[in-house]
Amino acid sequence: MLFYAVRRLVLLVPMLIGLTMLVFVIARLLPGDPVALAAGPNATPDVIESVRHEFGLDRSLPMQYWTYLTGLLHGDWGVSIFTRRPVFEDIMTFLPATLELVAAAMLIAIVVGIPLGLAAAVYRNGFIDYLTRTVALGGIAMPRFFLGLILQLLFVSWLDILPLSGRFPLIEIPPEGPTGFYTIDSILAGDWYSLSLALQHLALPAFAMSLSPLATIMRMMRASTIEVLQQDFVMTERALGISNGKILFKYVLKNAMTSTLTVIGLYVSWLLGGTVLVETVFDWPGLGLYATQAILSQDFMPVIGVTLVIAVIYLLSMLVVDLLYGVFNPRVRYA
Amino acid sequence: MKMTRRTFMGSAVSAAAIASMPLETFAAGRKILVMASSVDIPNFDPHVATGYAPAMLFRNTYDALVRVVGTPPKVAAGLAASWTVSDDQKHYEFKLDPTAKFQDGSPVTADAVVYSFKRIIKLKRGPSWMIAGIVDADGIKAVDKETVAFDLKAPFAPFLQVLPWMFVVNPALVEANIGSDDGQAYLMKNTAGSGPFKMGRVAPGNLYEFLRVQNDWHKGGGNLEGAIWKIVREASTERMMLTRNEAHIAIELYAEDMEALKEAPGVVRVIEPEYRTFSIKMNTVKGPLADKNLRKAISYAYNYQGMLDAAGPADLMIGPLPTGIFGHDPKLSVYRQDMAKAKEYLAKSQYKDGGFKLTALYATGYENQRRWCLLLLEALKSLNIELDIRPATWPDTVASAQSPDTMPNFFCIFQTANYADPDNIAFAAYHSSRNGQWQNPVYKNPEVDRLIEAARIETDQTKRAELYKTFQELVIDDAPDLFGVLEKRKLGMRDSVKNYVFTPVAANSIELLPLSLT
Repeated sequence: MLFYAVRRLVLLVPMLIGLTMLVFVIARLLPGDPVALAAGPNATPDVIESVRHEFGLDRSLPMQYWTYLTGLLHGDWGVSIFTRRPVFEDIMTFLPATLELVAAAMLIAIVVGIPLGLAAAVYRNGFIDYLTRTVALGGIAMPRFFLGLILQLLFVSWLDILPLSGRFPLIEIPPEGPTGFYTIDSILAGDWYSLSLALQHLALPAFAMSLSPLATIMRMMRASTIEVLQQDFVMTERALGISNGKILFKYVLKNAMTSTLTVIGLYVSWLLGGTVLVETVFDWPGLGLYATQAILSQDFMPVIGVTLVIAVIYLLSMLVVDLLYGVFNPRVRYA
Repeated sequence: MKMTRRTFMGSAVSAAAIASMPLETFAAGRKILVMASSVDIPNFDPHVATGYAPAMLFRNTYDALVRVVGTPPKVAAGLAASWTVSDDQKHYEFKLDPTAKFQDGSPVTADAVVYSFKRIIKLKRGPSWMIAGIVDADGIKAVDKETVAFDLKAPFAPFLQVLPWMFVVNPALVEANIGSDDGQAYLMKNTAGSGPFKMGRVAPGNLYEFLRVQNDWHKGGGNLEGAIWKIVREASTERMMLTRNEAHIAIELYAEDMEALKEAPGVVRVIEPEYRTFSIKMNTVKGPLADKNLRKAISYAYNYQGMLDAAGPADLMIGPLPTGIFGHDPKLSVYRQDMAKAKEYLAKSQYKDGGFKLTALYATGYENQRRWCLLLLEALKSLNIELDIRPATWPDTVASAQSPDTMPNFFCIFQTANYADPDNIAFAAYHSSRNGQWQNPVYKNPEVDRLIEAARIETDQTKRAELYKTFQELVIDDAPDLFGVLEKRKLGMRDSVKNYVFTPVAANSIELLPLSLT
């Protein structure tokens, strides 16, 4: 299993190099001139050229790519043409906020989705099944930003029990810690007041993000549980007089988990790449907004940097999913 | 199975439990002003960054020789307590306020001013265009410790007007962190000014905190202890923050928001005219619009009233210059919808039967620009011309302005005046040396160039106004643009904000010093 994991990690390298090349070329082939824009509204042609030279954009594309790639090996991810800030530093500023949001959303989706899916399968065509079906339909159909706006209207405007937007109150000092997750850092510091503030701010955006994966996980869990429940070994176990609870949690759940696991893995990266709308509605200072800004202004380096980070996380989460298959199903365990 | 159900209930309850925790209490008791804006401040270098959000930071953490205040904008003392101008308007001398100090306690000297201007000229970024060709590094001298002299290459009437954007940095701090890029890496994240505020927390993409410098040299001022520039992406959220008293000033609001805020308790609406023009530029060099008569026909066919109705609080432009600025002539005769005249000019053009298609670019996401393009479509239809309306991102728009070949037939542009002088708009938008830039991609008329240059160096105000009058008449006759609207500046403010005075120059870059909170 360790060998398998290492082999997969090594394979990541050529995949990422290929990816940088692809994104690099696409970013450069797009029409538009970000340099003229970055030079400022009244820049003269020679100033624009000097900016172009400063960023090395007057050299040939292969040369630029080579410089970028060698820089990458030294931890230099390039500089934004607009802000002149180092891309790596920016990504490290924005990434924890997005990861915390995605983690919270996935946590809600898993903790609520799996038991509800299981229950829907057990009480098939019962009340809880119909209820979850309705929720699932709504959860998949409703756009996340719209749900976000509705949540703001309900919990902020009318009920006034949760904050409108942001990640932490403006005038409070957010907790600092090793993870960059306000929730975990405040727990580590034993600062329960900060934790409650962080949770209040996290609640609505995380819920808005979670509904779609929750619905999918729930439906997936229901379908695979029903399938497993109909298999011969379940009937045998029942005949042996094993309690329903034990059958469900010890034998059925494990078997039903594999396909749900795939969905969870896919959703992690899907959410990472798609946080921008929720981040916009809730002013969540995350990677999605940073990436959108960069794409709209054709700021090459941040675009490539964000793509790389999302790709790495995607590939890693798929690796974790692959390894977890083995935990739930010994038949696919990697030697 | 009972266990399972209990587990569900448990998880549902714990998920809901967070809702019952205590809520934040907003800035109670502390005089901290919160501004909500969609624009980030990624770079703190006053000689590099542009835009109104960075300008807000510069105005409050740095000082310039002079400031600009009020409506109409007037030049007021800044670092310079007084100044003299020679009769030929080529020699300026500024006496610095002897009490002026940088935030590290060292005095602001004439040498610091010279150092800053030389850095601006050397870097050729940020505000350098305002003084490019007007004064060079050799023309700026420290006469003594408290006197700076400028020798201009030629008289430049708006010289005092551009000075508020030339901020003075602390040479000792910059030199200590000079690096290989003239301190750009250092000043990108640090300030080195003499302003009344210093930076507190900095969280790019999220918030910037300003803290009042204790016992500093600025006289007067309000009771603010600090301020926060909070990045908010949606205008509707800015509005909600304002009504909930979570923000004191909302910077970017739309006409709909202003309407919704009409009855909001505790909210003051600021709707003021400013020098920000909107026009639809035409490709006067290539394609059918190179024909002046066709341009005039379109100018007469356009529904200006429709444009104004779609704009929200705004005024129609009267010619190329913004209303209210020096030299603008409100009595100019301009194009208004007149189909008879449109047909008359169309008949005079080479395209009297129409029957072709033109293209218009507008900025993606700007709903008003799209509406104004639809009005253009309607106008062109009446002349039997089709219109292809295309949204474009800002980099695409800028790139398309590079030459007559890449410029579309029509091109939608907002243009903000950086200094309160007609030279700003006239030079940027109509002088042929600016061809290839988005403010003036292709338009060129030697006589117009001559008038702009002459007005630039004219020292006699009456003669200068006369030159601008001729300039306006000439440009109107050339019809290079559909002169559009001056949208009013729309700010939302809590009534607890006191001493706010609007100025039509960079109105979004709020000056914090005079403000107070009750």
